[in-house]
Amino acid sequence: MTSSPNIISRKGPDLRRVFPVPAQPAPRNRLAAAAPWLVAACIVGYALFAGGYPATVVGFALIYAIFVSGLNIFMGLTAQVSFGQSAFAAVGGYASAILTTQYDWGWLPAMVAGIAAALAAAFAIGYPTLRLKGHYLSMATLAIGLIAHEIAVEWESVTMGYLGISGIPPIDIAGYELAGDRAILIMLSLCVAATVFAVSRIRSSRLGRAFAGLAGSEDAARALGIDVARYKLVSFLLAASFASFSGSLFVHVVGYVSPEVFSLHMVILSFTMLYVGGIGTVAGPVIGALVVSALPETFRAFRDYQDLAYGTALILLLIFAPRGLAGLFAALDRKPSSDRGKGGTAP
Amino acid sequence: MSLRNAQRTVAMTAAMAAALLFGTAPAQAADVLKIGISAGLTGYAATVDRAWRDGVQLAADALNAKGGVMGRKVEVVVEDNRSEPQEAVTAYRKMISSDGVDVFISGCVSAGNFAAAGMVARAEKPMMLCSILPQQASQVKWAFTTLPPAGFEVEKRFEYLRDKTQIRKVGVLHDPTPYALLQKSVAEKIAGKYGLEVAGVESYKQDDADLSVQLTKLQSAGAGAVIKIGLGGTTLTAAKNMKQLGSSMLLMTSLEDLAVFKPVSEVLGDRFLFVASPSQVFDALPESATRTEISKFLEPWRAKYGDRDPNWASRGWDGVMLTVAAIEAGKSAAGPSMRDRIETITGFQGTTGIYNFTPENHQGITANPFVLATIADDRVKIVQ
Repeated sequence: MTSSPNIISRKGPDLRRVFPVPAQPAPRNRLAAAAPWLVAACIVGYALFAGGYPATVVGFALIYAIFVSGLNIFMGLTAQVSFGQSAFAAVGGYASAILTTQYDWGWLPAMVAGIAAALAAAFAIGYPTLRLKGHYLSMATLAIGLIAHEIAVEWESVTMGYLGISGIPPIDIAGYELAGDRAILIMLSLCVAATVFAVSRIRSSRLGRAFAGLAGSEDAARALGIDVARYKLVSFLLAASFASFSGSLFVHVVGYVSPEVFSLHMVILSFTMLYVGGIGTVAGPVIGALVVSALPETFRAFRDYQDLAYGTALILLLIFAPRGLAGLFAALDRKPSSDRGKGGTAP
Repeated sequence: MSLRNAQRTVAMTAAMAAALLFGTAPAQAADVLKIGISAGLTGYAATVDRAWRDGVQLAADALNAKGGVMGRKVEVVVEDNRSEPQEAVTAYRKMISSDGVDVFISGCVSAGNFAAAGMVARAEKPMMLCSILPQQASQVKWAFTTLPPAGFEVEKRFEYLRDKTQIRKVGVLHDPTPYALLQKSVAEKIAGKYGLEVAGVESYKQDDADLSVQLTKLQSAGAGAVIKIGLGGTTLTAAKNMKQLGSSMLLMTSLEDLAVFKPVSEVLGDRFLFVASPSQVFDALPESATRTEISKFLEPWRAKYGDRDPNWASRGWDGVMLTVAAIEAGKSAAGPSMRDRIETITGFQGTTGIYNFTPENHQGITANPFVLATIADDRVKIVQ
């Protein structure tokens, strides 16, 4: 997998010169940098204002934004590939569901336990698996997702199989239950803001630069003294913890979980969000999740042609914004004449 | 790009992004009765749920032809949940807050109905379902089903084995769906009552292309008949595998689309038996109140859809007629009134059987309406 992270270090040498990674265009003023956030804020703001159906759509989008932000650490910043992140969302989701409904745990300890379980699973799986590369790693991670789905279906005594687990309580803070559309949306927006802040800090930290190093060339990174296996594992663990977090949020928001929630469909959807939003960027997963969630709803009126319209819109988006929407906003700020012939131009 | 142009672009993009979700303004007209359907028009439940939707629409058309319900035209709002729980939540939410539906008569995707049940209960809208009921008491309060209890399909097969064969050992072959799991549990529990023994239980996935291993295990365990529970093309797979294995076991399948059964009967002949609903064996039914009721549905159904299987559509029809009965009894289409009135419906003759709801029982069919049938000379024949 050779996705192209856009790493701009604040300290030390410019990694784009050190490694042969195609760089993304840097926004030249704050407006362009803020554009994706403004669009995201408009969509969330509208959903908050309207409530009801738009709030539900945007709520799911925000949960996905967290999941995809985690995936972005592994796929965007570290340039690895994982088709199995849904497994860690399932671990988090089922841990929250089982512990709160069958053992009367509070939502927070259950969520923390879910993240701990996802980290343990990611470590056990990642330690041997991440020594693989390319297609082999892809196939191994795909198997993780499928195995987790099978466990959720077959381990009926715990997961209730396809019957699923109902009656999962909503999140409550200081005795106030977050059950209303707007309360849920505000809570999820805060969770996304925290996630974005964390990813942004990771990206510009020493850890992020190590990720960028091995993203460009594992051999070169190794030559520079970066412990490739270790940093790949750390990246995988971070992605798994965000996936688990999003899985827990999902089950508390919906109040129900079944194996279908964490199926291969989730993986395909999250990949779409990541590439439409802009892989390797902080804003990309958020704007990608919002747009990819809102688009099919926009085309609901098309009925049987909904999927056709949605697919066409996605193809157009990827043709005109090959670096994703976050990259498009950055490109808007650049002078067309100065773009041509430079490495930052999208292929 | 200048700063002004950039600002304009950002403003336009932001406006467009917000506009993505516009056009969803709530709309409700007092002179229209809105029925919402969350159905898996795509995904694993597509065959069943498309039929369910068409049955509901047919009932709405029939009511509108007679002037509607209490002077209100019946409008059907259908949303595809793609057979996925998350999509179902979104679909239900849209129909509640944007379309302003009065009642849900939703399809057979159990997980989708479960996921949205809490939200629907909070909105105080009754749900008349094709699927099994949700698990939470607070959600069951607002949910009703036209689905007969899981045991009925099993009992009909066990009755036949007890009364008309020497077979005393059976094997259960089931898929992992909730309704199939319930049937499997019932089979294990009640087999003894019919003098039968469950020699083995095997599961399969709906997309399995070979069931030889499971069938061989059941045969080795001494099963004389396979009680197959589940929908889809696997029935034909099982039949072919049984023929390849030279098995002499009977194949007794649960309720399914008649179109699936014809090729299966060509493979296994009289060793193939299936559970059928009254509407599927209409031509073989004697004169009865059920037959009269089915004919009211079947006439427009056949006029519109020819010999398409009527089973799930007929239950969709029943769902609408039960709801209308509740509205007319309470003279109101308000959610709480409809809910309260559905609970008092007893002795209601539907196309699938007689419905008896009570506050404690939201699964209306209480007497076994099924028959056991086979296909001989290209005709469906009732055997039990």
